Amino acid sequence: MTLLSFRDVASYYGSARILDGVSLEVGPGERIGVLGRNGVGKTTVANTILGIATMKAGRLEIGGREMKAPRHFDAAHAGISIVPQGRRIIPVLTVRENLQLGAATRRPGPWTVEAIYDLFPILRERADRPGTALSGGQQQMLAIGRALMANPDLLVLDEPSEGLAPVIVDQLVDVLNRLGRAGTAIMLIEQNIGFVRDVVERYYVLSKGRVVDQGRLDGVSLEALKAHVSV
Amino acid sequence: MTIHILNGFVYGGLLYILSVGLVLIFGLRRVVNFAHGGLFMVGAYVGYAVALHAGFFTGLAAAIAVLAAIGILLDIGVFRPLQRHDPLLTVLVTFGILLILEDLVRSIWGKDYVTVSVPALLSGNVEFLGLQYPVYRLMVIALALVTMAGLTLWLKRSAIGLHVRASSVDAVTTAMQGVNTDRVSATVVGIGAALAGMSGVVAGPLLTLSPSMGSYILVDCFIVVVVGGLGSFTGAFLAAMAIGQIHNFGIVYLPWAASSIPFLIMIGVLIWRPQGLAGGAST
Ligand SMILES: Nc1ncnc2c1ncn2[C@@H]1O[C@H](COP(=O)(O)OP(=O)(O)OP(=O)(O)O)[C@@H](O)[C@H]1O
Ligand SMILES: [Mg+2]
Repeated sequence: MTLLSFRDVASYYGSARILDGVSLEVGPGERIGVLGRNGVGKTTVANTILGIATMKAGRLEIGGREMKAPRHFDAAHAGISIVPQGRRIIPVLTVRENLQLGAATRRPGPWTVEAIYDLFPILRERADRPGTALSGGQQQMLAIGRALMANPDLLVLDEPSEGLAPVIVDQLVDVLNRLGRAGTAIMLIEQNIGFVRDVVERYYVLSKGRVVDQGRLDGVSLEALKAHVSV
Repeated sequence: MTIHILNGFVYGGLLYILSVGLVLIFGLRRVVNFAHGGLFMVGAYVGYAVALHAGFFTGLAAAIAVLAAIGILLDIGVFRPLQRHDPLLTVLVTFGILLILEDLVRSIWGKDYVTVSVPALLSGNVEFLGLQYPVYRLMVIALALVTMAGLTLWLKRSAIGLHVRASSVDAVTTAMQGVNTDRVSATVVGIGAALAGMSGVVAGPLLTLSPSMGSYILVDCFIVVVVGGLGSFTGAFLAAMAIGQIHNFGIVYLPWAASSIPFLIMIGVLIWRPQGLAGGAST
């Protein structure tokens, strides 16, 4: 069984076609990267799962079940949690409340607010502060914590390293590798090739709404990958 | 003097219960709901009609239930389908609904004024702050306080309250967490409408019932919401109490200006502090 499968998916915003026949798959516990330059449709892959972009052709399966017109809240219930680009922390909620919001699905699993605090101790210290009073790196941890609260089988992260200092990115590498070893599948949407290399085992490269390259990471040179995202 | 202040709080309490529903609905749906006055008025008539046969409190319960159902239908049938359109369209539709509700009530109960008497259980006076004051009026103030406390607890402590606060600022991100935001909206509009219905029934013994009573009070209600800051619950409470006082003192001391003072205050607030007195601060 696959956790997520796109087969020849075409996705639109209104009448603008953004994904033009994308196929990709993520199996249980797999760690994959989705690479590509600005504006090629990476976020639209996540938005298709969420039903924010409209799928008009192809087949989308989540947890082995076909989704014809997913609603925004379906993916989380089906075991796919998305850490959105720009983090989208809810400003009127405290750090703790932002985490509790992530538990809306009530999916059973190991993640609780306390377990998230153990993973990111800084969040425990800031528990009663507004979520947006945190630094960028801390907000990224909060966004990951919030997504984990749904006890996902697959965690999708959309450009989590954007705007973060290299030391913070190194911490994210550690955390994602720990999650990966614990069996959570990871789909890392990124332009930071070094980061991707340290986390994933397989990759897809998007260009103009199509998959133009894919494969396993071992044996592929850093330069060859960088060519796909450099301008 | 004391009696005028208390009367101001009674009207303010009524305005608060009505306005807070408007604030809830605006917070979630970004809809300025002109139908809210109609919901208030329908609540008053449903309460009155049921009370004739089954007593005041059964009437109150019936109005709350009927209006909650109307609110849920309003959200599913009107706000949801119109959410991707120009907000002005929704405003016009809610204005149309107000007119339809007024016509409907007029055709059922006529356009004459109807008076409702205070329920026997709450009739009479009681000694309060050194004067004889009607029990019913004190209960209206108490109901406003209980409503405020209940709503605050619900919003701050319950899981749905968390989802309501979150979807008021970012519905898409809230939905991504697995929250069925459509259901949250229907619940909130149902509660807002139920509060409007409740305030209509409670207003029965204080005001006279007529099909236009809703459009009349809606004006004060909008002033409360603007002065308090759109989307602010504390602001709505403070503004409702202030408008209640002004309304009452105006009637007593400046009858010729009573109805225009609240407008002047609203215009002043819009000029000096367009986000409202408590606006900008969350909830
Ligand atoms: N809501 C929207 N409505 C219409 N067009 C959109 C919308 N969101 C994105 N687009 C367009 O779709 C295309 C792909 O956008 P997408 O956000 O998927 O790119 P991306 O690969 O994630 O880029 P980035 O690296 O900058 O995040 C872009 O041309 C963008 O302008
Ligand atoms: Mg993107």
